[in-house]
Amino acid sequence: MSLLTPLALLSALVVGPLIVAMYLLKLRREQRRVSSTFLWQRMVRDVEANAPWQRLRRNWLLFLQLLLLLLLAIALARPFFLTTGISGRNLIIIIDRSASMAATDVPPSRLEAARRQAQTLVDQLPEGGRATIIAVGGQMEVVAASTTDRRQMYDAIRSLTPNVGSRSDLSQALALATALAAREPDSEVAIISDGNVEIPTDIRVPATVRYFPVGQRAENVAISAMALQPGPAGQTLFVQVTNYGPAPVSRRLDLYLDGALFNAYELNFGPDGAADAIQTVIADVPAQVRVAEARLSGAPAADFLPSDDRAWAVSPAGAGVEVRIVGPGNRFLETALALLPGITATKTTTTTVSGGAAPQITIFDRVTPDTLPTGNLLFIAPMRSTTLFSVTGVVDFPLLRPAPIIIEGQAPPLLRNVSVSEVNVLRAMRIETGIWARTLVEGDGSPMLLAGEREGRRIVVLAFALQDSDLPLQVAFPLLVSNSIGYLAPGSGLEASQIAPGQPLVVAVDPAVTAVRIVRPDGRVDAAQIQGGQAIYADTDALGPYLIEQVRDNQVVEQRRFAINLFTPEESRIAPASELRVPQVSGLQQAVTREQVGRQEIWRWLAAAAILIVVIEWLVYQRSSLAYLRQRVRLALAARRRPA
Amino acid sequence: MTTTSSQPLFDSAFLRKLDRLALLTRRAMVGDIQGERRGPRRGSSVEFADFRPYVRGDDIRQIDWNLYARMERFFLKLFVAEEELTIHLLVDNSASMDWGDPHKLTYARRLAAAFGYVALSTLDRVTVTAFAAGASAQLRGVRGKAGALPLFAFLQRLQPGGAGDLVDACKRYARTAINPGPLILCSDLLDPRWEDALRALGSRPFEITLLHILAPQELRPQLDGDFRLLDAETGEAVEITADLETLQRYQDHLREWQDAIERFCHGRGITYVQVDTAQPVEEFILTMLRQRGVLR
Repeated sequence: MSLLTPLALLSALVVGPLIVAMYLLKLRREQRRVSSTFLWQRMVRDVEANAPWQRLRRNWLLFLQLLLLLLLAIALARPFFLTTGISGRNLIIIIDRSASMAATDVPPSRLEAARRQAQTLVDQLPEGGRATIIAVGGQMEVVAASTTDRRQMYDAIRSLTPNVGSRSDLSQALALATALAAREPDSEVAIISDGNVEIPTDIRVPATVRYFPVGQRAENVAISAMALQPGPAGQTLFVQVTNYGPAPVSRRLDLYLDGALFNAYELNFGPDGAADAIQTVIADVPAQVRVAEARLSGAPAADFLPSDDRAWAVSPAGAGVEVRIVGPGNRFLETALALLPGITATKTTTTTVSGGAAPQITIFDRVTPDTLPTGNLLFIAPMRSTTLFSVTGVVDFPLLRPAPIIIEGQAPPLLRNVSVSEVNVLRAMRIETGIWARTLVEGDGSPMLLAGEREGRRIVVLAFALQDSDLPLQVAFPLLVSNSIGYLAPGSGLEASQIAPGQPLVVAVDPAVTAVRIVRPDGRVDAAQIQGGQAIYADTDALGPYLIEQVRDNQVVEQRRFAINLFTPEESRIAPASELRVPQVSGLQQAVTREQVGRQEIWRWLAAAAILIVVIEWLVYQRSSLAYLRQRVRLALAARRRPA
Repeated sequence: MTTTSSQPLFDSAFLRKLDRLALLTRRAMVGDIQGERRGPRRGSSVEFADFRPYVRGDDIRQIDWNLYARMERFFLKLFVAEEELTIHLLVDNSASMDWGDPHKLTYARRLAAAFGYVALSTLDRVTVTAFAAGASAQLRGVRGKAGALPLFAFLQRLQPGGAGDLVDACKRYARTAINPGPLILCSDLLDPRWEDALRALGSRPFEITLLHILAPQELRPQLDGDFRLLDAETGEAVEITADLETLQRYQDHLREWQDAIERFCHGRGITYVQVDTAQPVEEFILTMLRQRGVLR
């Protein structure tokens, strides 16, 4: 502890003797002549024999006054502690509120601890200092923008709620912080997080970045995957549970089918990284089951993140997708489609599409129509140009490889789990497209697989015929077909019934449908927006099963279910990071973690204590009046009780 | 506080009321000369007491001839002697009595005067003694209504003295008193050795009535704050911090002390009467003392 103005302590040296002198003057008691001190002496003897400290009683006031003086003098000297904190005048606080911040290892939760830390930082802000508070996790939100109003800062901090099931990506927030810090000279960036964040490497923050780690424990067991799919005996339920903690643990997994307990499994996990850290449960369940729920129970001390202890899976049954194959007939394609659940494939050879409602997906296999039907399209080895693209020639023996833009980032949904580099192609069409299409796979400078959206529909183009390659013989083929159908018919198939929190629900709806109702996991009913043949519902932060009902003329014509689960290993792995790599302009690569630069002044507490002492002193001074009052009250009460 | 000696002790109306009163004694007392009270001795009065056989030298005038006629033996007829009593009034005029509002010594003076007047009006002899260092005084043997004026004058002249040694005074009085009779002690008894004093008086066959005079300031002190209390007699100082608790404890002690005196008196046949000077003297004498059976 140090003092800001130690000279103020001299005031105690001046006033202290004054108080003592006044007290000594006051000690000259009033003299009173009495008939005899006989009775008084007896009493005083008795009192002093009973309680030696009674002698001290008269000194209480002096003692309290000196204590008061001491407190005030120390408060004037402005003592402070050095704490971890900030020293700048323009503070940018980035608070992580992602799913892992809901962990309860720092009671009540990490977010609460982060909030407290943020409040401490705001307290340490010098007079007139500015603060910007950014919440990351899910959608980035600036809850307080460059304000000097402390009340606004506190309100903003208090308003933060955990964003269950969101990833924390710092790139946006750090970009904003960089821009803000560049504008003001004396800036500091404080990151309050558990360290489970993504940090861009290409950023240079022009200010000191301080990292305030939150969280202590890493123990967490999570349901990491769950699916319900048609099986030989009705349906098959698949649940994967992962231990992310450093110690072996055993948990019970309860399975509920449509709300009723179905089975319970005792699972023993190895530590994170071991082979037995992941346990899988596969169960045959009846075909009529709509919603399956898995819950982890038992040993709650070894699990600090409750939000990933429950997961849901919904039955894909009833979510059919109509696919029309136009072409001379393709066994590979038909077999691959037949393997997918909920797909109804019809074959036709004519390129002209007759009237009636167009199916959701139309596949043109080595044929090109004159007029394009409505709905989403998949072209395989188109022979002629269409309004969407033009065919300019043929490429022989192209070498397939993923497009360069794909290598850097994440795999697009179409190429998920698909490896195309080992596919050999005899001949492919050279295709040129407009800017709507994105090349996913290219061969010899020509696009081999294209995908994109045009005029409100999705289009996928495969440049080579299946018969001209060994693709149908590879593992990649059924996956590619499945991914393509998933892409072309959003909201269908296995993948689509599982949605990450925050992602919008998209359902293709019939034009005749008048309304789409959403029944949320908590039972609340919401309406979804209908736009261009799709119903979109974005309020999907809450975990659990969602039921979507399409209503036509007050009649439910179709029901679909979605499950929203927190299947993000990055968030389930809650072990806090003690260091954070944030490159700064100053050359530091690491965020500053434990430097004591914050100045925690305590004069407010001393002043509060002084006020308390003043109150106590007054009470001591008035104690005889108080005793008198108490007696009066007691007598009054006794008098009131007597008639009753 | 100085006493105003010119102030009359009583008005005439109160004296007329006192005329109707008489001092009660529980047993016969020995007196010197003939009076109005039954003495323990046989004497000449109209009240028959006993017979006794005649022995040589007896006054033959007292032989009961009727009895001789019946029994043929000489008997003397004895009568109860009616004698005067000596009422002993002991007034404590030590410095501790010169205190209080209403003043304790004045109160004691008026009480003594009332008792003296009652005694004189029943033809008893009254002896008043005041004991205090430097102001001891005695008025011996006034008798009859004519003695009332010297009695009152004496009491009015009475000045408060210094420290009085209650024990010494009582011992001396017990030694020197002639004709033990009813003794009325007017004192505040504020002396650590009050028991010895009462014991000394009890060694002679006095019929003691203790009028324990305390001022309201002693019974219910109203103090608040820090005080240095000075003893009026010894000048001794006691420092107290007076608050409600202290005062309550003081009153507890006072009550304890009074109870102790009462127990002591009860065990020795002493009539103990507590006197609060806040109560008017007239009222006290006419009601309180009659209730306690001291006066009739």
